[in-house]
Parts: sequence; C-alpha cells; structure tokens
Amino acid sequence: MYKIISEETDKSGMKVLNIDKADLIELMEDYRNRRYYLSSITGVDMKDHIDVIYHIHNFDKNDYICVKISTSDEKVPSIANIWKAAVVDEREQYDLMGIIFEGHENLRRILLPDEWVGHPLRKDYDLNKVQYISMDRDGNEHVSFDDKEGW
Amino acid sequence: MKTGDMGVKTTTLEKALEWGRSNSLWPLTMGLACCAIEMMATQAADVDVARFGSEIFRNSPRQSDLMIVAGTTTKRMAPRVKRIYEEMPYPKYVIAMGVCVIQGGPYVDGYSVVMGVDKVIPVDVYVPGCPPSPQALTYGLITLQKKIRNETDR
Repeated sequence: MYKIISEETDKSGMKVLNIDKADLIELMEDYRNRRYYLSSITGVDMKDHIDVIYHIHNFDKNDYICVKISTSDEKVPSIANIWKAAVVDEREQYDLMGIIFEGHENLRRILLPDEWVGHPLRKDYDLNKVQYISMDRDGNEHVSFDDKEGW
Repeated sequence: MKTGDMGVKTTTLEKALEWGRSNSLWPLTMGLACCAIEMMATQAADVDVARFGSEIFRNSPRQSDLMIVAGTTTKRMAPRVKRIYEEMPYPKYVIAMGVCVIQGGPYVDGYSVVMGVDKVIPVDVYVPGCPPSPQALTYGLITLQKKIRNETDR
C-alpha cells in the first residue's frame, strides 16, 4: 500500500499529493481503477533535485488531483503502461528536462533533433552556446555549434 | 473619353509584364504561428485582399510567386521553409510578417528560434508588428507590388 507523505490544497482548491517515487506506480494504478485520466506531466528543476508533477482528472466527478514526486538522480518510473497518454508526455519531459523514465518503451527526443546537446529547460543549460539545425537531402536533421552549418 | 475614343497607350513590354505580374500575385502561406491568424483575416471578407489580385492562398508551392512567412520560425522549421522556398518557381518574392520573423521578436534570447528568416531566405518586404494587423499586411503587399512594377527602373 502506498503512503502519502503530505496532502495539501492549493489556491484553486485542487488537492496536491506529495508521495515517494517508489509509490508512484501503485498510486497511479489505484487512481486509474477509480476512472482517473492523465492530463499532463511536467518537471521542475530545483537545482539539487527535480520535481515531477502529474495532473490527473476524473470526468465523472470533475476532480483534478496533482501528484508530486521528487527525484535526486533524474530517474523516475514510467507510467506509460498505465496510461498511453504518458508516452508522449514523458518523451517531452525527457527532451526538455532530461528526466529519465525507466520502463518507457521509446524514450527519445520529441521536439528537438536527436543530436541536440543538453536539455534546454534545465537551470544549468548554457544559453550562450547556440546550436544550429540543418537538414540534408534525405530529410535528416543535423545539429552544429557553427552558425555556417545551419540556422 | 465619353465618346468611347480611348486613344493610344504606349508602354514597353517589360512594363506590361511587370504590371501583370504585380497584380496577379499568388501567395504561398507559411503560417507558422499566431501571425497566421491575421493572415487568414487578411484573406477574409473584411479586408478582402482579393482586391489586389492575390486571392488564392495555397499551401502548395506550385504556381506561387509570393511566400508570406507568418509566425515564429523555429530552428527546426527553418530547413523546411528553405526547402519549400526552393520549390517555388521564379520569379519569387518573400514577405516577412511579424517581429518573430524579422529578428526573433520576444524570443530574441531563445534557444529554438531563428533570429530572422532573412538568414534562411531572401526577404523583399518586412511587415513589423506583433502581430501586424490585416491592414498592415495589405500595405506590405501594396509595397511589394510597387517594387515589382518598378523592377526594370532599378
């Protein structure tokens, strides 16, 4: 049985559950069986650790719940086996935040090209090192730090 | 004139060709972001751009001679914009619509946005604004028409 570390209510009246990341799968399966659906997955870079935030929604009760977990080694269990919607959301968080979802069947970049260096929404991402994208005749994208080799 | 006597009008072949070309612009839409909504409004009945002979906004480069780049050009989209521009037949012209397309706009320090579409393709007319009103785009179109009409003078 999963354990809820703390439960609070935010300004809009939404329930926020703070849980340990080891309990995530169990809690999400419980809510899936109670006809909750996944709305979104977001990540927050807190410098020493990363928060992963799940919003789930029940259409019958019109109930929104926010589930927060934190991770210090960038790794979280994937919930793609519980909701298919998580496949795309987890790829986006991997792309922009660098969170590794363990157990995801196809964890690769979705918004940026595969060759892109770094994860742009991380606080330690260096915006001064500008990367440029070009495309060859076959439609493959290439990333370069040289502005003459792309846009 | 009232008698129906129209007289004689002399012109050069170049002038006649330029006049014809400037009044039958066939735009290719590159609606990339929010500016595209204003571009659609330009096409709609309120500020009817068909009055200027550029009615058929199509998403195919076939037969088109004007590319309206409307919206933020991201680095991932830039190679696609370039490829579609190269597929257009000559002579071809480009209108850059909105500040994102002109110099990056609010994303001037962003990691994902091209700082001006003129780094990718040559631009003839810049229409500033965020987003430019349909009237501004129409004015940009008239400016381009004037430019085409005076091409041999330059």
